[in-house]
Amino acid sequence: MVGRPLTEAELVERAKRGDQDAYGDLVHAYQGIAFRTAYLLTGNAADAEDAAQSAFVKAFYALGRFRSGAELRPWLLRIVANEARNRRRTAGRRANLALRAVAAEPSGGAAPSPETSLLDAERDAALLEAVNSLRDEEREVVACRYFLELSEEETAQALGLRKGTVKSRLSRALARLRERMEDEDV
Amino acid sequence: MSELELRLDRLGRELDWPETPDLRDGVRRRVADERRPREWRRPLVIALAALVVVVGALLAVPQSRSAILDFFGVGSVTIRSVDEYPELPLEPGRQFYGQRLSLAEARERAAFPIRVPSVDDLGTPRVYYLEDVQQVSLVYGSPEKPRLLISQIIGTGAIEKLVNSDQTDLELVRDGDAHGVWIEGEHVLHIPQLDEEIRLVGNTLVMERADNVTVRVEADIPKDEALEIFHSMR
Repeated sequence: MVGRPLTEAELVERAKRGDQDAYGDLVHAYQGIAFRTAYLLTGNAADAEDAAQSAFVKAFYALGRFRSGAELRPWLLRIVANEARNRRRTAGRRANLALRAVAAEPSGGAAPSPETSLLDAERDAALLEAVNSLRDEEREVVACRYFLELSEEETAQALGLRKGTVKSRLSRALARLRERMEDEDV
Repeated sequence: MSELELRLDRLGRELDWPETPDLRDGVRRRVADERRPREWRRPLVIALAALVVVVGALLAVPQSRSAILDFFGVGSVTIRSVDEYPELPLEPGRQFYGQRLSLAEARERAAFPIRVPSVDDLGTPRVYYLEDVQQVSLVYGSPEKPRLLISQIIGTGAIEKLVNSDQTDLELVRDGDAHGVWIEGEHVLHIPQLDEEIRLVGNTLVMERADNVTVRVEADIPKDEALEIFHSMR
């Protein structure tokens, strides 16, 4: 008989008791978002991998302080963000994001014309440049909300901010982006 | 959702993310490595206690102090030994503290809880936020020549203290869960991110709290008074 998969809460409880396999499952479940969060903050894949790995090791030892029933993802991402910021600070560089060479496939309907695709690509590149030009604190909030698809609550927890601060930074960042896009007429 | 937000949403799916590495083996290995000493918890505690005594004794010897301090760090502060201090201003430059904010604004922006001392007669501090290193400073007295400066920062490696063993004494200290070092005498505070340095005539208590926040209490006051200020921070 095949047992049902363990829930996240059950995996956490087992990991708290030192079960490495259970913790491995949690690492597997969250390594994607952890690595991308670290990459957003370090701008370097090797630093991001190191930061994410260190964060998971620290989180393992901190599990005893993790409140049962709380959301694990933002708690983990907070540790990841701290590790990544430390590495960024040491390296003294700023993270910049890049676009894929080929844009994503359209969601449905007829394929766009080459002209439309080119225009979309230019608009995306301009928007990304505008995001990259934001102040770090605004850029991080935009990236968490739209690129990592975190909720405002999760963004606040991950970046160690209050929810109101996330809202105000997001609002300022969107205003700046609108202004810049209008200036460039894209 | 506005059109801009929809575009940002779509942009997120088109970003050139590097492939996510599988972290499980690395995490498991590092956890195993770090757990191994726990099987020897008692001997380790004894060894650590001995180490503290040895380091404390070596710190009292100027020649040894230089060598030890090359490797010494407390939270965000790295303490480096130097033979000579560079010629530096005694007053902080314009970018030294960062942006002046209210305490409430600083609490909004900092990624950690800001604590304020509750010792009587300190007065109300000016509050500054230095975004480059995410440091919050409470400045008592004039910003040019503060009678007390309390800085709070999270993480590692953002601040350096340069000490000259002929002019500075160091002592390991502990307050509950927090640990750190007492620096007595002239020394240099260096913020590599800003490439800004200032020569401090006063003493400094550097403490790392259990929540990874490093607190610096800098003033021309004795150790007990600095510890009292640190202890009162809520």
